[in-house]
Amino acid sequence: MIDRIIVGLIFLVGLWGLIGKRNLIKKVFGLSIINAAVVILFIMEGGKAGSSAPILEPGVRDIVDPVPQALMLTAIVIGVCVTALALAMAYRLYKATGSFDIDEVRERLDDGHR
Amino acid sequence: MTGIAESIMSPSDWAMMPVALPLLGAALSLLAKAFIKKGPWASLFEYLGAFVGLALPWLALAVLAPLVLSGGSVQAIIGSWSPLVGISFRFDGLTWLVDMLGFSVAGMAWLYSVGAGPKGPAFTTIYLIQASALAATAATTDLFNLFVCLEVLGMASYVLVTSSEKPGAFLAAFSYLMVSAAAMVFFLLGVYGLYRLTGTLSYSSIAAALALLPDGGGYTAVVSLACISAAVALRVAVMPLYGWLPDAHALAPHAVSAVLSGVLIKTPLFALSRFLLAMPGGGMAGQLFGYAGAITALGGVIIALSQKDAKRLLAYHSISQIGYVVSAWGAGVSALSRGEAVGYALLSAAFLHAFYHALFKGLLFLTVGTATDAAAERDVYVLRGAGAILKKSGERLPFTLLSFAVGALSISALPPFNGFVSKAALSYVLKGRWEYIFLFIAGIGTTASFIKLAGIFAPPKRGAGIAAASSLPGYTAKKTVMTAQAVLALACVASGLAGPWFYRFVGRLLSGGHYSIGVLRLYDLDSLLKTGGIVLAGYVLYKLALTGIGKRIAARIRERPRGFHGLFAAFSLGLGGLTLWISFFRFQ
Amino acid sequence: MNAQAKRAPVAAAVLSILVAAAILWPLVAFDGPWPRELGAYLESRGLEESGARNLVSAIYLGYRAYDTLGETIVLLVAVSGAIGMIAAAGTTLAIDYSYPAKDGAVDGGEAEKPIRRKAKKNRTDLIEVVTGKLGPVVLLFGFYVMLFGHVSPGGGFQGGVVVASGIVFLALGSKGKPGGGLSSASTLAKLEAAGFAALIAGGFLGLASGTGFFAPPLAGTSPLGFIIALNTVIGLKVGAGIGFLCVAMLGEADYD
Repeated sequence: MIDRIIVGLIFLVGLWGLIGKRNLIKKVFGLSIINAAVVILFIMEGGKAGSSAPILEPGVRDIVDPVPQALMLTAIVIGVCVTALALAMAYRLYKATGSFDIDEVRERLDDGHR
Repeated sequence: MTGIAESIMSPSDWAMMPVALPLLGAALSLLAKAFIKKGPWASLFEYLGAFVGLALPWLALAVLAPLVLSGGSVQAIIGSWSPLVGISFRFDGLTWLVDMLGFSVAGMAWLYSVGAGPKGPAFTTIYLIQASALAATAATTDLFNLFVCLEVLGMASYVLVTSSEKPGAFLAAFSYLMVSAAAMVFFLLGVYGLYRLTGTLSYSSIAAALALLPDGGGYTAVVSLACISAAVALRVAVMPLYGWLPDAHALAPHAVSAVLSGVLIKTPLFALSRFLLAMPGGGMAGQLFGYAGAITALGGVIIALSQKDAKRLLAYHSISQIGYVVSAWGAGVSALSRGEAVGYALLSAAFLHAFYHALFKGLLFLTVGTATDAAAERDVYVLRGAGAILKKSGERLPFTLLSFAVGALSISALPPFNGFVSKAALSYVLKGRWEYIFLFIAGIGTTASFIKLAGIFAPPKRGAGIAAASSLPGYTAKKTVMTAQAVLALACVASGLAGPWFYRFVGRLLSGGHYSIGVLRLYDLDSLLKTGGIVLAGYVLYKLALTGIGKRIAARIRERPRGFHGLFAAFSLGLGGLTLWISFFRFQ
Repeated sequence: MNAQAKRAPVAAAVLSILVAAAILWPLVAFDGPWPRELGAYLESRGLEESGARNLVSAIYLGYRAYDTLGETIVLLVAVSGAIGMIAAAGTTLAIDYSYPAKDGAVDGGEAEKPIRRKAKKNRTDLIEVVTGKLGPVVLLFGFYVMLFGHVSPGGGFQGGVVVASGIVFLALGSKGKPGGGLSSASTLAKLEAAGFAALIAGGFLGLASGTGFFAPPLAGTSPLGFIIALNTVIGLKVGAGIGFLCVAMLGEADYD
């Protein structure tokens, strides 16, 4: 129980970074953290179902559920892709406005359009 | 023909073609980009890829039409693996219709992009991947596969939004990416919850396993359902989850805006209906969406009326129009989950409006894009005489003006254009509910706002605006642009004339032939009087909006504070509200 | 900026955290038994049905290979999107960025161009020698992880990422010259495109042989060969894609 609560707290910390912080890069960090928290939760719980790795060498018995691991492999790769794209966008926003602060970026872009 | 088709491939193979062919096209286009890079051969392979990916799927739809018309469906596991672990998909009337919606707008918008940009194999590759993901989303009945499909769809659209290379587009895409990726994390939490309870991933087996659990899975199941529904609703841009859409759709290239507004916000909605109809409690979620949809229809149009950027105005209308769709869709899902067959009529009206909106909104984005590009001005209050400017840039007959007129008359629901038919179908099925009144008032606002937008084609006042048109940018009219616009305009007229028949056709496909929809009476005195009243009220509203007070209110709405954090606050409120709503009705 | 505008993100964050905590609670507190049905089925039948000892590989390249296709596509889109964005802007960093006054346009008139310089390369001889020598070894390890993914922990994605880091090592070790050979951008782009095309072609192979889209093509035989082939193709594609992205971020790509 306590381990799941800790993972839940990690999720909330990530959410704070994503919404409360104004720096674009920190926001991307926050997104990665909440994604990682869900991945950890899924793998951790799936791992409690058995005792050995799901590699069927002769004599291996009582394996953990392999499905969460396979699903989370996909989720991790997708998370990395989202992070890469978000960072590339943050880089372009910095090039256009000279700032990583979300409010300053918006202000400067608005000025340019008026 | 079916015989020949089945001798080539089995129906379940044909059913995968709308997903597989665009991917093949994307591979061709990507090879052209990497190996040939530039020149006529690269273009040849790129166009070949687009043909394979956007035109050939129609062949598959034609082959599958008899099957779905007779009420049949293809239900299989991809790769013929064990159904316990493998990914199940379902090709039925709903999939067929959603695919048709997607490929009709996607094909025309791609043609437009050949003339107006963005160009090149890199763009075509991602565009085709998006088309493939649309078809995959419509067909899947596996929860985790839905997650993957939505991620591919989202990823492609973030990149396509930025392909306009405007600095503002990067901020729009960044906000869109962050909020929708965060929503997808909640979706993943929902997958965790349901897998934790049931140990399976396909909709039907999750529902079956939940039914065996004491209390149907309790709060864990409710929270999971809410997370998944809210994450999908964000893609659909129902209020309050709409904040990312206006910037993204307004700043994307025109062809991309047409697909985003026409197709991308609807496919997830119809994919969600599959999930909600399988889940216990799904009907209640649908009901709340329906109510939110009616509010969205009215709220979207109020904000749209206050806009001055032409494309942003169209983007807010997309929100308003999706509200029409969602209100009927939600009522339909709710009715079907209670086993009431009238739900098919509601869902059919929702799809009818979704399809017609895809056609006319695609058309509007393309024509307004052409006009604003030619004039290099997007402010509705400044741009005048766009027709004359287009004429100077080489358009001999006023094709763009005519196409725009068709689109504007369609969205304002004037007979005999297609918007008239779908809005009549919506009033027919929603009559007697409070949502109906909301949609009625929204219709007045829509008319007012398109009278305003039509001003860009009005002759310029002397000495005002950019009537001088002396320093036109080097814009020249392109054949592909005109063709794409003309085809969509013709489709709007034709689908309007064939509307009542098409409505019955949709009903037959969605219900698998079980339910036949009553005849839609379109041209009786009642509905014509109503249309006249809406136009009149719309004109009055337009004049009111031009008065001093009207302009101040418009500026107030336009300049309301919008920020990045607001998107997340809205998502949290939506998610929390949905959870409370479902738990209230399940555990009362 | 006024105080209210500063408080708004904090308020939004607090609201979201409260809602998220309420949403998370039923998921975190749930203590029912983990459903064992799927795991038990795979334990007894997985090896026989897929031919792969590593059940995680059996799932993501066999049972649920279609998900993996989607995942590969997400990676392709992310890599080509990110490279497109970086390439269009160039990898120069703006220093002494003087933002133009409010009347100036955002993306700069010619008059007020900020001073730009090439991204500074923090390189020493030590790094170049070590990475240049380590590169091939890392590549070899990557191929091992990739090719033995069906019997041991690993697989196409993991191996691909190791291959990508090998490529980055080679690029770092190329003594500041634009990377030749495997670490040149155009080679990597070709490799990635070929990998993607091979993956799609593999999907169509099943159609041609009558087993269905993205199914192991030879009905009646063990799908192990198909899984190994997918591992290899995905590994090459992922390695080339991520390698390409990193080389582009190092500022060494030629982008043609």
